[in-house]
Amino acid sequence: MLLPDHQYLTVDSLSDCLKALRENGERAQVVAGGTDVIFNMRLKLFEPDVALSIRRVAELQQVEELPDGGLRIGAGCRLVDLVEHPLVNERYPAFADAVRAVASAHIRNIATLGGNICLKTRCWYTNNSEQWRQGVKECFKTDGELCHVIKSSSLCHAINNADTPLPLITLGAVLTLQNADQRREVPIAEFYRKDGMDHTVLAPDELVTHVTLPPVADRTVFLKIAARQGMDFSQAAIAARAAGTGADAPQVSLVLGSISMAPIQLDQPARTVEAQGLSDEAIEQAVAQVRAELGELTSLYARASYKSHLAKVLVRRALKALREM
Amino acid sequence: MPPPTDPQAIPAQEAELSVVGKRQPRLDGPQKVTGRSVFTDDVVLPGMLAGKILRSQHAHARIVRLDTSRAEALPGVKAVITAAHAMGMAASSTESAGEASRRRTGRAIKLKTGESVFADQVVTYIGEEIAAVAALDEATAEKALELIEVEYEPLPATMDSRRAVKPGAPQVNPEFPGNVWSEDIDNYGKPDEAFESADFVVEGKFEAGVTHNLYAEFHVAVVDFSRPDKLKVWTPTQTSYLMQHSLAPAFGLSLNQVQIIHLNTGGAFSGRGAVRPHHYVAALLSRETRRPVKVFSAGDEEFLIGRALGKNRYKTRIAANKDGTLKAFDMSCEMDGGAVGNEVGYFGWMAGLCNAWVFDLEGNRFRRKVILTHQRPNFLGHGGMMVSSNCAVAQLVAKVAKSLDMDPMDLLLKNAVEPGHTGLSGEVFASCGLKECIETVRRESGWDDKYGKLPPFHGIGVAIGAMASGAKGAFKHDTSAAMVRVGEDGLVTVYTGIPDMGQGTHTTMAMIAAEVLGIDANDVQLIAGDTDLTPVDVGAFAQRGTITTGNATRNAAIDARNQLAKHAAEKLATEQHNLVFRNGRVIRADDPDQSLSFKEVAYATLHGMEGRCVMGRGFFNSPLPYGTMAWSFDAQVAEVKVDPETGQIQVLKVTVAHDLGRTINPLAVEGQIDGQVFSAMSQVIYEELVTDDGLFLNPSRLEYKMPRTYEMPEISHHMIETHDPYGPFGAKEVGEGPVVVTGAAIIAAVSDALGGTLIPEMPMTPIRVLKAIRGSELYENGGQKP
Repeated sequence: MLLPDHQYLTVDSLSDCLKALRENGERAQVVAGGTDVIFNMRLKLFEPDVALSIRRVAELQQVEELPDGGLRIGAGCRLVDLVEHPLVNERYPAFADAVRAVASAHIRNIATLGGNICLKTRCWYTNNSEQWRQGVKECFKTDGELCHVIKSSSLCHAINNADTPLPLITLGAVLTLQNADQRREVPIAEFYRKDGMDHTVLAPDELVTHVTLPPVADRTVFLKIAARQGMDFSQAAIAARAAGTGADAPQVSLVLGSISMAPIQLDQPARTVEAQGLSDEAIEQAVAQVRAELGELTSLYARASYKSHLAKVLVRRALKALREM
Repeated sequence: MPPPTDPQAIPAQEAELSVVGKRQPRLDGPQKVTGRSVFTDDVVLPGMLAGKILRSQHAHARIVRLDTSRAEALPGVKAVITAAHAMGMAASSTESAGEASRRRTGRAIKLKTGESVFADQVVTYIGEEIAAVAALDEATAEKALELIEVEYEPLPATMDSRRAVKPGAPQVNPEFPGNVWSEDIDNYGKPDEAFESADFVVEGKFEAGVTHNLYAEFHVAVVDFSRPDKLKVWTPTQTSYLMQHSLAPAFGLSLNQVQIIHLNTGGAFSGRGAVRPHHYVAALLSRETRRPVKVFSAGDEEFLIGRALGKNRYKTRIAANKDGTLKAFDMSCEMDGGAVGNEVGYFGWMAGLCNAWVFDLEGNRFRRKVILTHQRPNFLGHGGMMVSSNCAVAQLVAKVAKSLDMDPMDLLLKNAVEPGHTGLSGEVFASCGLKECIETVRRESGWDDKYGKLPPFHGIGVAIGAMASGAKGAFKHDTSAAMVRVGEDGLVTVYTGIPDMGQGTHTTMAMIAAEVLGIDANDVQLIAGDTDLTPVDVGAFAQRGTITTGNATRNAAIDARNQLAKHAAEKLATEQHNLVFRNGRVIRADDPDQSLSFKEVAYATLHGMEGRCVMGRGFFNSPLPYGTMAWSFDAQVAEVKVDPETGQIQVLKVTVAHDLGRTINPLAVEGQIDGQVFSAMSQVIYEELVTDDGLFLNPSRLEYKMPRTYEMPEISHHMIETHDPYGPFGAKEVGEGPVVVTGAAIIAAVSDALGGTLIPEMPMTPIRVLKAIRGSELYENGGQKP
């Protein structure tokens, strides 16, 4: 599988990057670690005219300690830098666990946080070679009008498999998005769209430059279930956060990933344990409320019934883990 | 059977071994781990073109129109070929197996596939070859494929072997009405009488899913057919010999006009034993363009080409007596052969034997039906189809034990064969350490403290098996030959046709030659796998490497040694049989103070009056009428934990005891066992090709879920040495015996973890585990083992 013809452009500064993005717009594809982008280019899932490398942009690779005790992390930080960063581990252990759960050591040595946050949605009807795809009808991702996974759907149901956004959502992280003219701050909880095609609110000329984490003293946890322990995307993953101690949990947040086109924030189950505490009974009641909040599930990469089963298992495990913290 | 007399015996030499049994790192290890080893894709020839294959996108369709004109007109394209260029050429693989089969069973079995290189008018599976292009570079070849216009008229397809045999099912091949490719019944002993007289019968069904042999090296062929009288092929293979014998007649060439060169081979797993369409395509493109051509299969293309395991459905019955005597097995298997019928029905016979050889039975029957479907052509995987057949049997043996309230270990020991046992078809086990294997794994796994005492969802299981070494019986001859050249500097070169596809056989051959010559294995180099240079060797399959090629290498080394001994005996004023070659010296056995260095003997032999160049030659073919001379035996215990919430299985530990006759290289043996534990675990728990109407949805290394390092269990290795009278230095196989047992031990352990419920299917994916839990007594008992 050869790479499509393209121009490879390396920039040294953020301003040069944003200028190039302004000039090339949708014809450009930003490449940081490249572990996802380059592979998808080989599959001809996108064929940009310009691959814009931001690997040399040092200002995107800093972890800054904020006066309030939070952190401001450059989107160009490699996952390995975060895994090894003492403040990340100390202040945001669930986030550090999620970073550690991505792919393999080799990939974390080169892949970046921004890359994982922007990870393209995946589907086994599209993430195969071009010749393979010629055997199936065009779908939304390949300029058609069909979703192979749910044929009656008017939306693309490709899966968002990113692990790191889940704890970032529970932590209330804010993304900085910039284009050549301006910057905007978008809570990561509002970054994703429930559409496999156009899965984030990022504009073609914009770049995710930083992730800002507020100080968090609450209990947090991240759990991932995959077919194998390393080098794999999640079949389901969860990030959870709870205020209080012991069974007392006045504020709870639960975010599930890898079972739909976007991360899913569970509302009712969180309210249930907030009201009743983290008793076994309340947890089971919360678990029973999970399925209703998942929406339509697909048998993509794992059976729909298994995904809803895993969602319940993860909610139960996460809430019990929080209780023990 | 009297012990064989070895005319080549060198008792004084072999009384004490100095190379065999030592931990010898692979000779090619440093090159491999530093990326310097050369594989076929590294071969670049002057003027070489890139070949690409256009493949069918339909499981069954008529080709209404095929227009290659736009592709031909593309600048840089040197040839576009279709079925018209390969008329009358039948891609056949192992015709000689038919001959042997006739002799063995008295019946003719159709083996010649009649498979054409390109689909002609009708395609019968997704991925079937339709056309091919040779161009100046890969990008142009890819572009040219897009310019070939194919118009299909889709036809109804039959994708499941159960539906394919029903009346009215779409037909795959008009020559095989009803879609039945072959039916075989092997009867050994008296199964009917044994079932009739047995106290009771247990039975069960088991299914094994479609797999892919995930080779480390993709399929690739470089072919230079620019001269009409010489066809040169570089490709990863298990057998350059059989490839030569298939390609020569296909292209009307004599054998010596076909040169097969295998460099390193990145994995084979029974899937690289024949010429496949991409080899023919590369040869046709090279002939057409008179330039060398490389055809390289991209990752997903390799899954489509197939020739790995298809869906196999077993029904198994075991007859037993109340005292725990196993009397007979009766197994039948429906095999999805895919769209191209093949030899799998024939080679499948081993699957009915590897789990029966180990027991002193009265009868054994194995029925196989190969059914054609519009699936990818299927063949064998790692462990043949014996991994799954042994899973089917081992669970039922455990069930027999459970129903008699017997410890499975006691049941196995009661029924296990012993040295000198004659099997149901006349095979004689000259060496057999099965009971010692069983006792070893019982002790080393802590079985007696664990069996029946583990908490719910934590299980332990045992399985045993046997494996034949050598392919005589499957082919007319099973000969390996070797040459050993001793240089004047005392460095030695072994010429052998056996491929090393990772199993380490080249290092084994170097050790065998080094042992005979009394030198360091690092002073031996291998020239391997070039049919123009190296002598006959049927290849690396059927567990024939160590025993057959090993004996050939030993014989050649003895020949070379004798040539050196002649000179050394004169110098040391003694008889040749009084010499021992050891630690780089040639020593008088009766007076060890008198010796010469190996190097000075080698030098003086050439630089003497005779000017003798030392070239040893040797060959080996089984002297026995049955063919197989030696059987390895194996027992394993697996311990697993099942997560009842997620359905995931964790293999904690596998204890392996393998009777390999003699350990030539402990390092390589441990590697073999580790690799096979990995592979069997992968097959029974993880590997599954997901299909949507014949289309593979997960044809990639990312989505085809082979486990990785984290999933590897603790492995405890135990080599049981029984010094087989036929093997070189007493060695037997260790290349396939373990893999066919590990899977069964794991499945038995999972069954135990779930309170003895029979496991119906492999791979045991989490969703199937959850289903099995819901259907088990464990579930009914509120999580307590019954």
